[in-house]
Amino acid sequence: MGLEIGTNPMDMDAIAARLAADFAAELTDVRVQEPDTVVARCERAALKDVARRLKAHAEIGYETLNFVAGVDKVRHLESVYHVYSWKTNTYLELHVEVPKAKAEVDTVCDVWPAADWHEREAWDMVGIRYLGHPDLRRILLKDDFVGHPLRKDYVDSAENHPHA
Amino acid sequence: MPDQFATPEPDEAVKLALRRIEESTARGEGSDVEGLAFNEVVVNMGPQHPSTHGVLRLVVTLDGELVKDVIPVIGYLHRCKEKIAEKRTYFQYIPIVDRTEYVAGMNCEWGYVMTVEKLAGIRPTRRAEFIRVIMAELNRIASHQVAVGTFTADLAPLGTAMVFYMFRDREYILDLLEEVSGARMMFNYFRFGGLRYDLPDGWVEKCRDLMKRLPKLIDEYEALVQDNAIFLQRCVGKGVITQQDIVDYGISGPNARASGVARDLRRTRPYSVYPELDFEVSTQTHGDVFDRYQVRMQEMRESVKIVEQCLDMLPKGPVQLGFLRAPYVITPPPGECYTSQENPRGEYGTYIVSDGSRYPYRLKFRDPCFCNLQLFPKLLRGNKIADAVAISGSIDMVLGGIDR
Amino acid sequence: MTDMVPDRFKMRYPKLEHFQEPNVITTTADFIFSWARSHSVFPFTYGLACCAIEMLSSGFARFDVARYGMEVFRPTPRQCDLMIVAGTVNEKMAPVLKRLYDQMSEPKWVIGMGACAISGGPFYDGYNVVNGVDKIVPVDVYIPGCPPRPEALFQGLLELQIKIQQHKFVAETPKPAAQNPKPAAVTPAPVAGEEA
Repeated sequence: MGLEIGTNPMDMDAIAARLAADFAAELTDVRVQEPDTVVARCERAALKDVARRLKAHAEIGYETLNFVAGVDKVRHLESVYHVYSWKTNTYLELHVEVPKAKAEVDTVCDVWPAADWHEREAWDMVGIRYLGHPDLRRILLKDDFVGHPLRKDYVDSAENHPHA
Repeated sequence: MPDQFATPEPDEAVKLALRRIEESTARGEGSDVEGLAFNEVVVNMGPQHPSTHGVLRLVVTLDGELVKDVIPVIGYLHRCKEKIAEKRTYFQYIPIVDRTEYVAGMNCEWGYVMTVEKLAGIRPTRRAEFIRVIMAELNRIASHQVAVGTFTADLAPLGTAMVFYMFRDREYILDLLEEVSGARMMFNYFRFGGLRYDLPDGWVEKCRDLMKRLPKLIDEYEALVQDNAIFLQRCVGKGVITQQDIVDYGISGPNARASGVARDLRRTRPYSVYPELDFEVSTQTHGDVFDRYQVRMQEMRESVKIVEQCLDMLPKGPVQLGFLRAPYVITPPPGECYTSQENPRGEYGTYIVSDGSRYPYRLKFRDPCFCNLQLFPKLLRGNKIADAVAISGSIDMVLGGIDR
Repeated sequence: MTDMVPDRFKMRYPKLEHFQEPNVITTTADFIFSWARSHSVFPFTYGLACCAIEMLSSGFARFDVARYGMEVFRPTPRQCDLMIVAGTVNEKMAPVLKRLYDQMSEPKWVIGMGACAISGGPFYDGYNVVNGVDKIVPVDVYIPGCPPRPEALFQGLLELQIKIQQHKFVAETPKPAAQNPKPAAVTPAPVAGEEA
């Protein structure tokens, strides 16, 4: 019975304050979303470093990745990381803004192995390229699909959808 | 020869498998047999296969009977749910959520409805909360019956009687759910703030009656296979999920609890009226196929207990918030929300981004089977191909959730 | 109860108990073969999505499909005559569906079970969804529902039995054309010819 849940229960505001203090340079807009999630924005360039330090944090280690979502917010894309901390039994939602012109961000596969397929899905659906991913190819759509369907400007085309 | 019978070009997954064989041969791990460059064969299992539980394709690299590598290929049931969410109002989308994990429709609906309620700040009525728990737990029993039934059906093709017994009893539960919601599988029953219909007259007595009979029926299922030497030999010690895997890949649900990690979202992230209910979190220690089967059987018994408690504690009152009775349009304020709950397969979460309009801006499902399936290659490596069937059945995958 | 069954469901065979002693029954070869074929159809387990669970339920104890002689669900298309497409077909699955249909030997029939197989169902506007399996293979019976109850599946199977009984063994029955008059570029509708 090695893996325990909630060995270090902390108040949500205390967690938010701790993260804001430890990651003052990289995380902005740290706020609490009831009942057990902290939401924060992260700089794109600092993502890999922040991810490593979040996982290895002594008091609130965010060891498990729940999902990675790609969101198309018309002016930019967003890569949302949702991670879980066993020690405090809380979640953290990290938003990373990705410019549309150069839609690239570092992969976090080496930090959280679960990111493998989630990042492939975000690439498939929204078109965010994860640099350093071992095998970034389409996962849900057929291999020769053109375009990224969950973008707001995606238009159904005859080559993707011959049997409309 | 006509074109339609020509051998198709290998696609990306098969090319990847062949590339990996070439790389391992180049590294010196080729064949030790005279005249052969390498021992491996790439075999395609699926997408149409009796034992892959849906349209899952496995590109298996075999050395004789030993599995060297597995590349799962998914997407054969990708139905564009997340894009369709952007074209339907929140209310119109409720029937579509049912079809995500189609064997556990009530649980899926609840996940979606809970997220929208949190975004919009709606609190459901107390009677509705209790009935929601009853429906979710009944659906959990039905879902485990399908999961374990098809798992044993794969071990010996429809040869075990267990699947017939389980599907027969699943019909009793579906009768109850049909009386309440009108449908056997795609219920369309949950509404924002409550439920569509109240319980009909006499339903509580019928449910109580079934809950009295179910524990004996579960004993019957266990008696059919649990002492069978072949079943034990195929299941014990196979496909062990370690606690490190659970942390690395986000495994949840019975797959995690069978390895000794007592994480049940009904306890660790309580929602609805679960804090008032008394039930145990079922765990086992070894994390092999047999333990996952045992956890599911135990969970069926716990669900029976939960349903009985809810029937006893059921308060009187409305099941809908008064002003939301007719089909309506709901516009949650702009924001984002993620709620998750304990699906029969694990942590089922819905992440909704709202922009204040009638349509969701972005809807993402955190599906437990998608996360559990990532572990598949690691579990199968080193096992025989026949074990692949046992292990894939024990992981309990529903492709509707994986592919969305 | 038997007078409630529509006439077209009643096959016109002689009642064997009317004969007092061993006798000679004359009929056509078409009748005998279509009678045998319609009452021993081997369905193909082509359950894709939610309708597959209802198809499974119809095979088990409460709704027993063995009463119609159809409990032998074979997983390989080589041994089947009926493909029940139960679930949504999408662009990734379409070539697979076509190839499996081609691997079945004649005479073969297709049932489109559920709203998704008929017309795309609730996912009709998906970028990846084929709006009806009849764009790929010719369909003989459509069973509406989402999912259709096992009883609805049985009505569809009974209608198919009637259709099979009209199949001519001696003279070639013309194959129905696919509903989409313009064959899709990727997977053309099958045309019965000498290779069939």
